[in-house]
Order: sequence, then structure tokens, then C-alpha cells
Amino acid sequence: MTTASFKTKVLTANRLTDGISVWLGANGEWVFSLKDAFLARHDEAVAALTAAGDQAQADNRVVDVSVIEIEETPCGPRPYRLRERIRADGPTIAYAPAAAARASEAA
Amino acid sequence: MYRYDEFDHAFVAARVSQFRDQVERRLSGDISEEAFKPLRLMNGVYLQLHAYMLRVAVPYGTLNSRQMRKLGHIARIYDRGYGHFTTRQNIQFNWPALSDIPAILEELAEVEMHAIQTSGNCIRNVTADHFAGAAADEVADPRPYAEILRQWSSVHPEFSYLPRKFKIAVTAAERDRAAIQVHDIGLQLKKDAQGRLGFAVWIGGGQGRTPLLAKKIKDFLPEADLLSYVTAIMRVYNLHGRRDNKFKARIKILVHETGVEKLTQEIDAEWAQLKDGALKLPEADVAAINAYFAPPELAPRAEGWGELAAWQKSDSGFASWVGRNVAPHRHPDYAMVTISLKPIGGIPGDASADQMDAVARLAQEFGHDQIRVTHEQNLVLPHVALADLEPLYRALLTDGLATANAGLITDIIACPGLDYCALANARSIPVAQEISNRFADPARQADIGDLKIKISGCINACGHHHVGHIGILGVEKKGEELYQISLGGSGDENASIGQITGRGFGPDQITDAIETIVATYLANRTGADEPFIDCYRRIGADPFKAALYGSEAQAA
Amino acid sequence: MTVIWTQTGIVENDPWTQPSAEDGPKLLPLAEALEHAQDNAPFGVVLQPADDVRALAPVLDRLILVALTFPAFSDGRAFSQAMLLRERLGYKAELRAVGTVLLDQIPLMLRTGFDSFAVEHAPTIQRLIDKRLPGIDLHYQPAADAAAQTPGYSWRRTALLNG
Repeated sequence: MTTASFKTKVLTANRLTDGISVWLGANGEWVFSLKDAFLARHDEAVAALTAAGDQAQADNRVVDVSVIEIEETPCGPRPYRLRERIRADGPTIAYAPAAAARASEAA
Repeated sequence: MYRYDEFDHAFVAARVSQFRDQVERRLSGDISEEAFKPLRLMNGVYLQLHAYMLRVAVPYGTLNSRQMRKLGHIARIYDRGYGHFTTRQNIQFNWPALSDIPAILEELAEVEMHAIQTSGNCIRNVTADHFAGAAADEVADPRPYAEILRQWSSVHPEFSYLPRKFKIAVTAAERDRAAIQVHDIGLQLKKDAQGRLGFAVWIGGGQGRTPLLAKKIKDFLPEADLLSYVTAIMRVYNLHGRRDNKFKARIKILVHETGVEKLTQEIDAEWAQLKDGALKLPEADVAAINAYFAPPELAPRAEGWGELAAWQKSDSGFASWVGRNVAPHRHPDYAMVTISLKPIGGIPGDASADQMDAVARLAQEFGHDQIRVTHEQNLVLPHVALADLEPLYRALLTDGLATANAGLITDIIACPGLDYCALANARSIPVAQEISNRFADPARQADIGDLKIKISGCINACGHHHVGHIGILGVEKKGEELYQISLGGSGDENASIGQITGRGFGPDQITDAIETIVATYLANRTGADEPFIDCYRRIGADPFKAALYGSEAQAA
Repeated sequence: MTVIWTQTGIVENDPWTQPSAEDGPKLLPLAEALEHAQDNAPFGVVLQPADDVRALAPVLDRLILVALTFPAFSDGRAFSQAMLLRERLGYKAELRAVGTVLLDQIPLMLRTGFDSFAVEHAPTIQRLIDKRLPGIDLHYQPAADAAAQTPGYSWRRTALLNG
């Protein structure tokens, strides 16, 4: 049943072979970008997500499957939790220590 | 340093093929993730937010150039060009594919390295003083004992499924650089009245959710009894440690709940049955392991004294680097050099593949091929002639490795936090970076003096925040990051657990709060010779709370 | 289906797991086992991880099976119980692992003195039938298995082939 307070959900996991974060896409395939994720806007769709997640885990394609809540924004889906935003966008820091170090030495 | 013999090579090779088989069974679906998880953890493989993470053991923080070069190679070929040195003297790679890990382990085995027991509820990498074998104040090198413990604990049939992880640290000086009082077992190598070597044994220290300092349970354990006594401790812990609640499963809780006297009696009773058995260490074996750690031949280099003085006079940058990052060696013509992995605004503990290669090259050229990883996430070249300091400094400078901040406010420990870690509640690295940038001015850092800031992104305390002079713990509150501050912690021989100041600070307030604490210290210290921790211990928390919270603190 | 495996292979007609073993030997929990010691018939005991194996000392000579329980793979207390039984009490008869018995733990169980295993997981049973145990034959510590002292450091051992 859809209510006014229903929050849109997507299904996320990490791929078994390399651990890369993935989201379940509309075509039923796992995609590398949250932007391409299938948006579940009512309970029946969430149930379908959960079932797809259980199946993919049982098939040993993905691990750590979870349904997360997102906000639909003009720029695409945005998870409510920071953890999930970082999973979608990558580390919030530039991770090139040599370049960063040289810049700081120069400063 | 220790070199593998045929037995070690064959063992590590067998362990690699064992893990390869486990990975194959997982990928083919023969075993579930639930069954695989403890197996991968026991070989250092975590699943983090963006990818798997591989933690490679650096036993007691000792590396040679060939090994460091291999770490750089792995970073370049299998990862994204960098690695992260940890507070456990290990290195973590953030982006390896599970399917590549057996190949990585084979490469590591070529240089006598592995990832065995870098995670899991087993005996972890044994840590030691990073200045071991070079420090003037040690009674003997602690690393041979760490090596014996490493061997004995490897794939231990009885102690691989403990209630929780188990960490052992060994030091050999009164000045504790290995934080033994916050380990499950802390061993301090010492001599008795007859000059025989043995250990003071501490148990039950740890950080995490319930930080506790270790209790000394034996003042002098003869060296021959090391393995039998540690086995007795482990057996009592394995049988009686709590398994109903993972937050109460460390040995510190068993010590706390049983009482140290009663637990010591149980350990001694078990030890009485074991001490004259197969675990007794023959002198010849200890001597044979010791021989591997014989210090390098250090030729007299007295010319360094004059040269050093001249260089210091002509280059203030070099002079302040020597002042902070160079410590006296037991040989008067040599020094121990800290290579800071804390560039201003950088990621604490990170090193690029190029930097790893550079350190390897410099260790060969100037450092008798020896490198150490410190629990403060820096590197050390333990045997550098004073006469070589200046060329070493020049070379480090070009690779961004000459930051002169060892022990200063910008020498921050930080765990990977929510940028990488699946357990984290808040980010650590950006907080460290902002504090580092705020206090970047070398003159200001020098004025503030010794100050250890330690940041953890969750209660597991990988960033050692409980023993930071200033500790920062990231938590999640109502979906937002919040940072709790604790003051007065210390991980040295005068160990103490920091006290929480009060309510936490948001990400945009935390650096200002640190600034307030530093200002309070500067206003209250008796002089520049009273470091932060001494000042805090003298004046207590109140002036800091008043400065942080104003009238709120008085009301509370 | 649970099968019993030992190093000589799958055990057919294991008396302890037969449903109709009315007149067979009894498998008792610790408290009953200590009472049962009144009569002289050989019997077996199944222990839980919190049981003190040393309580079995008075009845040891009548025991023909001790089963130690792994309630979950992560609960490793039975490894220490096994060591105490073999090394401290000198128990010589069958020592069985029951509960969650994982393939990768069986080599460790063998080292701590277990010699029979109640296994349910089909891929595990197949590996055991194929004699493909994921163990390492080189050991850095003495344990309760029959291993050879290797030349070199006192704490090292190597597995005896077919030992």
C-alpha cells in the first residue's frame, strides 16, 4: 500500500568477484551507477526488489544486499544516509597522496 | 631481520593455495558468504563500502626494501596506486578484486610476506616498538620474541576461533612505544637481578567500546616460558571468554568480570601443567632467532657531527626536520629517522606506489635496507648515519616525504572512516585534513609542541582515540556526523584513557573546537616546556570544558 | 543427512547415530554420564561448550566416545576441550566433532585430537570422500595429533603421512 510518507527505495549490493558497489537496474541487471537504479515507489515494487536481492545472493552474484531509502531529486536519486551517498559517489577525499603531498610541500 | 627458511616458504605457499581453494569454492557457490566470511577475514580480506580491502601483515612493523617495493608493485598493479599504513603496523589496500587476491598473496610470498591472521577472531599480527633494534633505551631487541610468537600463533589449531580478536604487543624499554597497556597481552622485555631476560606480562588492555588499561599479572616471566604462559592465557580465555555478546567478548571483559586475581590463579594453574612441556623454549632456539635480528654493521661515521651542525645552520627547513623527525640512535654517529606520512592536508598513513619505491630506494642507499612501520602510521629508517641525513632529507623532500611534524599536532592518527570502512559511522580523514590545514604553520606547530590527536570513525577505535591527548570519535546522530572529543588519553608507559568532554561537534565545528582546546592549553601552560598532556593532567578537564561549552558547562 | 567421517573414510552403521540403537551403547549428557558411571557398561558422552571436560576424569576408562559440540562455527571452545581431553586427561578413545562442522575447520580439529566428524554439508562430504582436506602439513606448534618433531625450532611439527 502506498502512503504519503512512503520513501522511494533502491536495491544495492557489492559484486561478489570484486566487491564493487552495484545497484539493481530497471532491466534486472546490476548497474554501477545509482542513477541507473530501479526506483521502487510502492510496497509491491519493494517486495520485488527484496526477492531479486535474495535470488542474486543465492546465485552468488552479489553480497551484502540491502534495500535503501532515497530521495528523488532533479539530479537523480539521493540516499538519505551519508554512508549510502559515499557508496554511490566514492570516497569524499582525493586519494592521490603523492600529488597532495607535493602540493602541500609547495605551499 | 628474520628470513624465511624452507619450512616458512612451504608453509606460506600452502596457506596461499589453501586460500585460493577457498576463494574458488566461494566463487563457484560451494560455500555461502556466511561460511566464507571467517575464512577470508582470517586472511585479511574485508568487504568495505566500495570494494574488498586486503590487509597485509608487516610483522612487528619490520620491512626491507624488497618488501616495500613489492607493496608498491601491488598498489600499482592490483590497486589504485596507493596503500594505507595502519595503527597495527600493517598496510591495507583499498581496491583489490577478490579474484585477484590469491595472485597478490603469491606475489607477497615471493618476498616473505603474507596476510595471515590480519583479521578474524584469532591472534593478530604481533606488534612491537618501531625503534626496536636501534633505540638506546631497550634492554634487548623485542622482535625475536615477537617473531617466535608470530610463528607459534600462525594457524594455531586451538586458538583460531576465539571469542574475539586477540592482539599482542612487545616492547623492551621503560619508555613504551608499543602501547602495551592497551593490548590483550602486553609484554615488556626486562632483565631480572641476575641479568636474565624475561617479561613483565600485562593482560586485558584494549580500546573499542569499553576502553580498559591492562593489568600486570606477572612481574617476571622467564623467557623460556613465553609460549607456555601465553598458551595458558589463551586457553583460559578461549574456554571462558564471553561469547554471548561480541562487545563483551575481549579478554579485558573477562579480566574485569572475573577479577584479575582469580583469573591470574586460573592462568597460573593451567600454566603449571604446561610449563615443563613441549612449549618450553630452548636457549638455542631463542639464540637462533635472535641471530636474525643482529644489528647491521655500523661503521664509524664521526664526520657526520660537524656536517650536521653546518647543514642545520644553513637550512632552517632541514634543521626543523632534524629537530622533529630524527631521534638518537644507540650508536652516536647514527640516528633513527621518522618519515612522516602526514603531509599537511594529506591522508594520514597513505603512501603512493611511487613513495613506497622512494622509501625502498632510500632505505637501501642510506638505511642498511631496513624500514619500520609505526603504530602512529609513519615510517622509520632506523639506522641512518648523521652524515647521510642531509642527502636523505633532500631526497625525501622531492617525494613529499619530508614533513617535519613527528609528534606534533598535524601528526594525526586517523582510521579510514566512512570514506572506506563498512563499520564506520562518520568520516575521519576529512576531519584530520581540516585540522592539519588549520595548524599548518610550522612555527605555530612548534609552539604548541608535542600533541597527539587520534581520530576514529566508530567505536571500534582503530584510530586509537581513547589514548589520544585529544581523541575524536565520529558517531552518527539522526543521520548526521557528530564528533565527540575526549581529552587526556595516552598510550605510553603512563597510559590513560581519555575523558569525554561533553556533547559532540558537527563536522563544521570540530576544527574550531580543537582550536579552542589548543588555545586553552596555551593560556594555561606554565611554559613551553609543559606539554599538552602534562598541562591537562595538572589543571584537569574543567578549563577545557568551560572554554568549549561556556556557561553550559557550569550548568551541567 | 548426517554422515560420520574418520580418516579411514565414511563410517557405515555408526552405532551412535542409528535411530534404533535401543540396545546399543548410550550417548549421555555430562550430568547423566557421571551418574551412569555407577554401572559398568561402556558408554558415550556428549558435551556442550560450557561443560568442564575435567569432570570426566573419574569415568574416563569406561568412555568409548566423547562428542564435543560446535554450536556455531565461530564457537571454538571445543578445540580447547579436545586438547584438555587428549593432553591433560589422556583420553584415548573416539573423540567426535558434532554440530557445525566446517570443511576448513576439520584440519584444525584433527590437530586438537578429534578423530571422527558428524558432517551434514554435501560439498563438504564430497571433499572428505575425495580425501581433499584443505589442511597445511607444516605446523608452528605442538598439538594433540601425531606429528613429527622437525629438525630446527622446538615448536615446529610436520604432519605424519597417513598418521
